[in-house]
Amino acid sequence: MVFIHADNVRLSYTVRQKLSLAWPRRRLEATGGRIVSKGRHHTVTALDGISFDIAAGDRLGLVGSNGSGKTTLLKVLYGIFEPTAGRIETHGRADALFNISLGFRKEATGRRNIVLRGLVNGWTPDEIESRMDAIIDFSELGEFIDLPFKAYSQGMSARLAFSVATSLEPEILLMDEWIGAGDASFQEKAKKRMAAIAEKAGIIVLASHNTSLLQRTCNKILELEKGRVKYFGDAEEWFAKNTEA
Amino acid sequence: MLNSYRAAFKDITAALKLRRVWMAFASEDIGDQYRRTTLGPLWLVINYLAMIAIFIFLFDRGNGLPHFATYAATGLLVWSFLSELLMQSVTLFVREEAFIKGTTLPLSVYAMRMVMQSLIRMGYTVVGCLVVISFDGIAPLWSWLWVLPGLAILIFAVPPMVICFGFLGAYFPDSQYLVNNAMRIGMFVTPVFWVNPGNKALRSALYHYNPFTYALELFRLPVLEGRVPLLAFAVCGGGAILLWLVALPLLGRLRRQVVFVL
Repeated sequence: MVFIHADNVRLSYTVRQKLSLAWPRRRLEATGGRIVSKGRHHTVTALDGISFDIAAGDRLGLVGSNGSGKTTLLKVLYGIFEPTAGRIETHGRADALFNISLGFRKEATGRRNIVLRGLVNGWTPDEIESRMDAIIDFSELGEFIDLPFKAYSQGMSARLAFSVATSLEPEILLMDEWIGAGDASFQEKAKKRMAAIAEKAGIIVLASHNTSLLQRTCNKILELEKGRVKYFGDAEEWFAKNTEA
Repeated sequence: MLNSYRAAFKDITAALKLRRVWMAFASEDIGDQYRRTTLGPLWLVINYLAMIAIFIFLFDRGNGLPHFATYAATGLLVWSFLSELLMQSVTLFVREEAFIKGTTLPLSVYAMRMVMQSLIRMGYTVVGCLVVISFDGIAPLWSWLWVLPGLAILIFAVPPMVICFGFLGAYFPDSQYLVNNAMRIGMFVTPVFWVNPGNKALRSALYHYNPFTYALELFRLPVLEGRVPLLAFAVCGGGAILLWLVALPLLGRLRRQVVFVL
């Protein structure tokens, strides 16, 4: 059973002015109400009181203005950030696509990069070997797969990243605005694969500013505002409300 | 306190399970450094031999010690392993920022990759060391095998150093330069290429109270004198345990916090 359960999640962290021998600079005024400063310490509350439940087959869209906490929430879901308070329970094998070129080595070939990424994801060498051809086929990189990664364009990197991340059929797929790169035909393929994952009772969480993409993909929307939930519920309802206004 | 120890152990066992990751990345790292060179990692051997040549022919501080070349060769072997490891450890977490912020790999994976990388590099310098020893006219002896427990102790002692220095560099960026300077000076205050003069108070003290001396002796005594380096075992083993006692709570407490300071 795949699900994500978030109960009153709060994430705050201290941004320490690093200990340094440098002469202290004139302190700048803090902008916004989410930063509490005390001497050298600034406490940022990135998420506060986040509660929601999503179940198998849900495709959740995360929306909100820049800095509202979308990426932070994705990273909490993935386990990179530990919530300061509250509880988060995710059940299912998760994979994430945050930054397209993350974890790719420039000097290594595409093929070697697939191996390395697979190892990071915890696959065995046999699993990697058995998926290699499918990943290369899906990425349509052809002979480029044996060239160093630094020779790839943005779109090609995106193809490789998406192919690797989705090849193990993750039960939970977390994505952050990845779709900007990649041409139309690949986006079409990617969309189909995402639909397939969702159909197999997986969960997709997608943070994006692209309304039409969200409208096509998501059945639920979570809107964040300054780290708090502004709206959580049915996607159609949210779109109806927001296109009226 | 107990919780942070438990968290640290969890982190380390998870990293040990992921050994394929850090082994693969460590060999990539070495490969990347020499990718476009003709001689590749042979440069490690050449650099080492050039350094040794300077020690032997320009700065002979052996005071007539027989087999000074071997003395310096074994010393430099361990010293360059440790100093490079420490200098690179200070920037470890900062360099791996993208990975730490983008994946859920246990933090110890980075430390083990660093250790692995240094061990590979040391493997190349061992070749250079053996060349020097054979030119120095020392034939292999069974007592050389006492190097192996020494190596085991060294390998056990370095991961906590990497962890501590990694956090130090993340929380206190200036330490990068402090450590680089300290290591440069360290080469002169550690008996890498000078011998304990016995009668000069300052240098004798530097010899006896410098923990690095004993790390060098782990390799030096079995090869040079065919002796079991018991004191070095004790000092380095004890030091390793102390280092772990510091590194484990740090790791447990900071492994989820460090991401916020990078």
